[in-house]
Amino acid sequence: MLLEVRNLVIDYRATRGRVRAVDGVSFDVPAGAVVGVVGESGCGKTTAVRAITRIMPSSAVFAAGSISLDGKDLVQISDREMRKHLWRDIAYIPQSAMNALDPVWRVGKQVEEVLVDRGGMNRKAARARSEELFAMVGLEAKRLRDYPHQFSGGMRQRASIALALALSPKLVIADEPVTALDVVIQRQVLDTFVDLQKQLNLSVILVTHDISVVAYVCDYVVVMYAGKVVESGPVADVLDSPGHPYTMGLYNAFPELGSDDRELSPIEGSPPDLMDPPKGCRFRLRCPFAIGDCMQDPPEHFVGEGHVAYCHRASEAHQLRHKAKRTETWVGVTTE
Amino acid sequence: MNQPLITVERLTKRFDVSRSMADILTGRYPQLQAVADVNFTLERGETLGIVGESGCGKTTLGRMLIKLIPASEGTIRFDGQDISGMDRAAELAFRRRAQFVFQNPFDALNPHFTILRSLREPLHNARVPIEDHVERIADAMRMVHLPAPEHFLQSFPHQLSGGQLQRVVLARALVLRPDFIVADEPVSMLDVSVRAGILNVLREVRDQMGLAAVFISHDLALVRYVCARTLTMYLGAVVEDGPTADIVGTPLHPYTKALVQAVPIPRVDQSHDPLPIIGGVPDARNPPSGCRFRDRCPVAQARCTSEVPRLRDVGGGRRVACHFV
Repeated sequence: MLLEVRNLVIDYRATRGRVRAVDGVSFDVPAGAVVGVVGESGCGKTTAVRAITRIMPSSAVFAAGSISLDGKDLVQISDREMRKHLWRDIAYIPQSAMNALDPVWRVGKQVEEVLVDRGGMNRKAARARSEELFAMVGLEAKRLRDYPHQFSGGMRQRASIALALALSPKLVIADEPVTALDVVIQRQVLDTFVDLQKQLNLSVILVTHDISVVAYVCDYVVVMYAGKVVESGPVADVLDSPGHPYTMGLYNAFPELGSDDRELSPIEGSPPDLMDPPKGCRFRLRCPFAIGDCMQDPPEHFVGEGHVAYCHRASEAHQLRHKAKRTETWVGVTTE
Repeated sequence: MNQPLITVERLTKRFDVSRSMADILTGRYPQLQAVADVNFTLERGETLGIVGESGCGKTTLGRMLIKLIPASEGTIRFDGQDISGMDRAAELAFRRRAQFVFQNPFDALNPHFTILRSLREPLHNARVPIEDHVERIADAMRMVHLPAPEHFLQSFPHQLSGGQLQRVVLARALVLRPDFIVADEPVSMLDVSVRAGILNVLREVRDQMGLAAVFISHDLALVRYVCARTLTMYLGAVVEDGPTADIVGTPLHPYTKALVQAVPIPRVDQSHDPLPIIGGVPDARNPPSGCRFRDRCPVAQARCTSEVPRLRDVGGGRRVACHFV
């Protein structure tokens, strides 16, 4: 296993106290695999994966847990040592490509800077490598002389992929890399990214709110809700036979181009306030299948090989899936 | 009274763009054609989706339909009347009958107004008698499935969730019982689990109130869910028009084909074939001659350089702007 995250707990210091944004999250990233982390705004998906890079706002606190990369616990090492791993072992592609690129420097200069400062290359080698990287992501070498504002959104995203791959990292963490792009460009960038991932045998963590993007590129998926993992496993298993009602609900709320007039069911209510989360299962207030047991923490239930759901009723998942497909199941659930 | 509710003819919108030094020295005023020669009609009670990528002119078209911005050329007739040359009374009546739903619910409402005040404002503006307000507001709130208790009406926008805010924005558009609404990406700012609720409300509004609606979105799957008919736009021009199910099932224009294929679906067994489209959207200030799509088109030929393809009828209620369909 390339990366093992175990019981990760991250708090944010806020004026009202501490907010537990990530509460006991565990997942694995096998070498050469693409792992999707999905969930809605505020579910902690970005916090959980950024913790791996340690690029965090100063209000973030590592409260517990371990992040082991090739057997080395990244939580325990010094900042100085961590810096050696960034770019070389772990690269990060942020949500907006504009955040990855400095507007006042030519794009080529920024790629070279990484290669020289972090990779120890000389200028000449760095220039050659920059051109190679741009060719890999489908950009012309002459574009290295451009400034970020001269790039379209898709080109910027390609440039930040090139930047991330500069020092041949083992693990690339991409946070909503295509969310801001139009559908045609999104598809083209994803295709380039997937080709490179296969070619270079990269391990990738892809954070997204879009389950169709997960279906398109990922091998494994981790579904998060209110700071916790509710379900994880191979993509085909999780999407075809979800074990957690939240995953079922997410799927039924998602419009699908190919399907004939499948009625969508919203999940009523909104995610809980993480300042004061409900006891037991965090989804129970919005869950149509909640029972008395849900006041207790949900157990780990193996739905299949490597496919886990954290739900008291996961053993009945088969029946629940049928009920979840009906719109009326989701009506009038919230008790608030 | 069998005329369409809206008739759009030769509608064109040009914007001035900032001049470069060379433009200033040569005395040029460069313009960008955001909407180019668009023609269509909308029947009463019809829901029309407008899809296309950023910069294709879909938002500009929507804004012109509701007279938020004037057209550069061409006409929009609403119930037979040209909306550009209205007197004050006609204009007021038009504003009552045609409403707009904004994209971002977080800044579409005045943060200093209570929900009640936001919902009453259009009633005041339209001189609806005060004794009718309670009923009108209650109806609109029922329509969008908002709870009606006092404390909700007295709350402020910051106290509500995104989904609730978008319902308020919708209720505000419906409170005057309009005949026509334009909704510009009404769910793009919302989370998936909440989005479905708003889309269902839009479907109910369509079925129960019988109003004509234009739904602008970059997401073909959303448009498919709400609209019976769809226009596809590319660089300001309409390239395809027809029943949504047909457009999604058998797209005819090469651009629509690429657009349909590009939409990912939440299933593992989906096509990973490369898209039948080349490169990115060209500079809108300087679009290709002839067919605007030709430099990205897999089937383009010499004719496409010289001749602009007209949007022509191909039967089955469909229109396509391509020489080779």
